[in-house]
Amino acid sequence: MPHRAFFAFIMPSLLAMLLFIALPIVSVAVQSLYVEHERVVTEVETCAPFAGCTTETRVDAEATEKLRDAEPLGRFNGFGTYLDRNHLATAEMNAILTDNAGFADVASRIYNLPFYRALAFTLTYTFVVTPLAMLLGFCIALGVNAIPPFYKGPVIFFSLLPMIVTPLVGALIIYWMSSPQGILGATLQSLLNDSTLSLKSSAVLTWVTLLVYGVWHNAPFSFVVFYAGLQTVPHDTLESAMIDGANRWERIRFVVIPHLMPLATFVALVQLMDNFRVFEPIVGFSAEANATSLSWSIFNDLRGQVDQLFGSAAATSMLTIVGVVILLSPVLVRTWREFNRR
Amino acid sequence: MIVNKRRRPLPLTVLSTTFVLLWVLMAAFPFIWTVWGSFKVEQDFFSRDSWWFAIEGSRTIAQTGSAFTGDGYYGAWVLRDFFSSVVNTVIVTLSVVVVSLTFGTLGGYALARSGYRYTFWLLMLALVFRAMPHITLVSGYLLPFFEMNIWGHLPTAIIVLVAINQPFTLWMLHSFFLSIPKDLDESAMVDGCSRFQAFRLVVIPVMWPGVITTGLFSFLLAYNDFAVTAMLLSQPNQTMVPKIASFLGTIQQEGNVMFAVAAVVSATAPLFVLVMFFQRQIVSGLTAGAVKG
Amino acid sequence: MAEIRLKNVSKRWHNFVGVDNFDLDIADREFLVLLGPSGCGKTTTMRMIAGLDDISEGEIWLGDRMVNNLEPKDRDISMVFQSYGLYPNMTVYENIRFPLRVRKVPKELHHEKVMQAARMVELVDFLERRPAALSGGQRQRVALGRAIVRQPAAFLMDEPLSNLDAKLRVSTRAQIKNLQHTLKVTTIYVTHDQIEAMTLADRVVVMNKGVIQQVGTPTDIYDNPANTFVASFIGSPAMNLVSGDIENGTFRGPGITIGGLQINVKGPVTLGFRAEDASLVFEGGELGAEIYSMELLGEATMASFRMGDQLVSIKSGKEYRAEIGDVVHAAIPASICHLFDARTGVRIARTPGN
Repeated sequence: MPHRAFFAFIMPSLLAMLLFIALPIVSVAVQSLYVEHERVVTEVETCAPFAGCTTETRVDAEATEKLRDAEPLGRFNGFGTYLDRNHLATAEMNAILTDNAGFADVASRIYNLPFYRALAFTLTYTFVVTPLAMLLGFCIALGVNAIPPFYKGPVIFFSLLPMIVTPLVGALIIYWMSSPQGILGATLQSLLNDSTLSLKSSAVLTWVTLLVYGVWHNAPFSFVVFYAGLQTVPHDTLESAMIDGANRWERIRFVVIPHLMPLATFVALVQLMDNFRVFEPIVGFSAEANATSLSWSIFNDLRGQVDQLFGSAAATSMLTIVGVVILLSPVLVRTWREFNRR
Repeated sequence: MIVNKRRRPLPLTVLSTTFVLLWVLMAAFPFIWTVWGSFKVEQDFFSRDSWWFAIEGSRTIAQTGSAFTGDGYYGAWVLRDFFSSVVNTVIVTLSVVVVSLTFGTLGGYALARSGYRYTFWLLMLALVFRAMPHITLVSGYLLPFFEMNIWGHLPTAIIVLVAINQPFTLWMLHSFFLSIPKDLDESAMVDGCSRFQAFRLVVIPVMWPGVITTGLFSFLLAYNDFAVTAMLLSQPNQTMVPKIASFLGTIQQEGNVMFAVAAVVSATAPLFVLVMFFQRQIVSGLTAGAVKG
Repeated sequence: MAEIRLKNVSKRWHNFVGVDNFDLDIADREFLVLLGPSGCGKTTTMRMIAGLDDISEGEIWLGDRMVNNLEPKDRDISMVFQSYGLYPNMTVYENIRFPLRVRKVPKELHHEKVMQAARMVELVDFLERRPAALSGGQRQRVALGRAIVRQPAAFLMDEPLSNLDAKLRVSTRAQIKNLQHTLKVTTIYVTHDQIEAMTLADRVVVMNKGVIQQVGTPTDIYDNPANTFVASFIGSPAMNLVSGDIENGTFRGPGITIGGLQINVKGPVTLGFRAEDASLVFEGGELGAEIYSMELLGEATMASFRMGDQLVSIKSGKEYRAEIGDVVHAAIPASICHLFDARTGVRIARTPGN
């Protein structure tokens, strides 16, 4: 295809991506260097009869508004936002590292910094949910592959539901069920004989609930891909393995798993990308008291009740993007090498 | 087939069947339970005493005179105007699907047919774009959109969702186009078509399965999105998902959590139907990316 | 109806040369076959003529038009693809009509032209079917019908028979030959099958690694191969090639001695002869060795010998019988031998009088 035709065809798509994906990344980068204007404060003297005159400081809403209109970005702050307490918290980290009472103290104090709190949960979620969901998906695929064909359709139908459902809605459904008044929460209470038990009450339980939800939501994707992969396992290789004397497990180990490996890489890549932006479950489970994620921190800054903290949100966004690039880098480096070898 | 059924030892069969049954229960039960519960009153579905009330519905009978009640749905759809957000969702998802597919088929076709090196880099770039958390992009939109005065409108959300959708759509359609033999468009061009005519008259008619599958996924992305629609749409333009989220803030305090339950069930029902009718396409779509990519 | 000229045409991708300096004039109404192993550049040459691949260097002329920068649709050619490129969503009738439709041929002419083409390729009974409901041979004929429905300046055919079974291949081959004769349109035909090339072509172009090896009539390239590549590519079995040394008109190789050759050549050479030109004899002869394998071909019997690291085959009458391991002799007269330069593989011309 000649260059001109190629670009004519791809232009709408490319333009959309540049305008609404590439440009926003630039916009985020710029915004992260700015911080909101401080409020314009004026001193007003009010004199009331009998009380004398008092001066009080007031926010001059009009002047503040004017300043914001003139410079909507805010004032230039350099990398200040990145280093403040709500982000990388360099000063606090320094203090913690120089003066502490052992590892547990360091860990708990770092965990109290908002950015590291969010990072800790995001990474845990990404690297716990991804392998567990893949493992569960693989087991389901093996199981479904062995049931009579007649039942496969309905089983696949129900299996798809946790993945297809809107993440926020799925999270809400599980949240309601696991609340103390819901069927799961109440059953747990009576099983453990603890009428105060609530999944929301402790950080550990909240994390476990979110992780279980993550596995529930992500397993169907691995299942479907692995199940489709199982249909294409080369029959000849499998049969020659049987003749060579491999037992059931050995056939899975030496024929099926190697055949599924490329698929597994793909699934892992997609799931790592998706789980890294974990966000809706935290909203759905109202879990922000015990667990926050990077995406949720950005959302929280943007949703601010009083002010939208664009600078703060942008700085977290940039740090998140760096995280995504680090996450993707093995894949990108490998693809690049393979491409150059060709 | 992995294993020959006749030679499968019984304990293994029992074990794997039990496992599959357990999984189906895990996957399906939350939905069945919630659909069932949405026709009860709050004191039944969120009973402080025993979840058995939700099954018997004794409070529901006491309060409404029947074991099932549509109060939750009435509250959500009529009192809380869930209806208008349904309309918004229909507008947004349909537009996103149509525009995404238009852009995506053109771009995916170009990527599948050009032999030059830059196609590889474009696909890699799309992969990186695909990995961007949506909320980071949203934080890039807000300020410029406020300044340009385009915040809050449906078309803004639509074009943003289309763009966010493009990397995935491009990858998927690209792999579908690769499976269509090159001979087809080349014979069309020799027969007298321009490149675009060959695309429109010859390639697209045989691409329908791929287009439908990709369309389903565009639909799901637009329908399920929360980050973009919650942040970029003004209150009256809200779609279903942010509407449900807003219920949580207001309704829960008022004790009308059943409105939210009813809204959640209403929002899930179309997805059920979708999976029922397009199960095959969804499965093939999930694997198309995997096999080719 | 047009002649086609390729002036020093080359095709490069990065540093890979697909076609190198292809220079050829193809006469009006000629049936030209491009022959070579896969990856030799024959298909690329055809695709450049069709306009499906860019030309890196050189010029292609169709009649009096330089077509380098023309779109395929503007080149007035038709093409049959290896896997046919039929439109699966259209019936046979619509498939054949498609070129007329997109080229804005007046509607009232369509039916007549389609029916005429369908009759020529014997598809009248299948016009309402879709390609999926046709056999391989029928699909192939739809592709042919689509190519001949209008009168293009040239037909291009890219291995059109390679997806057919052996029996169908023979009959379709005859049909193609007949169609070209009837329609009198310049035809370029790409194949890796030397039998197709020999049977169809007015002229054959043998290509290897992007370079033309030899251009000539089928008889020409069979009887006088220009180099060892052509010699080993044409004929079934391929020409026997034995390396050895020549001095004073006598060739000496492993187990072979042949006298009476050119006396002006000296040193290492490759000697070639065809299996069907030599004969097995009871005694004497230029070759004597143990039989390595015996093959019954039906119309002949073929004995093979291992000479050094080469395999030499010789055909004999269909009644001839011998066992593997028997020692036999073969007559290889100098008159059937070809000499090639041992290093370059180029043919050493027979000087007159020798």
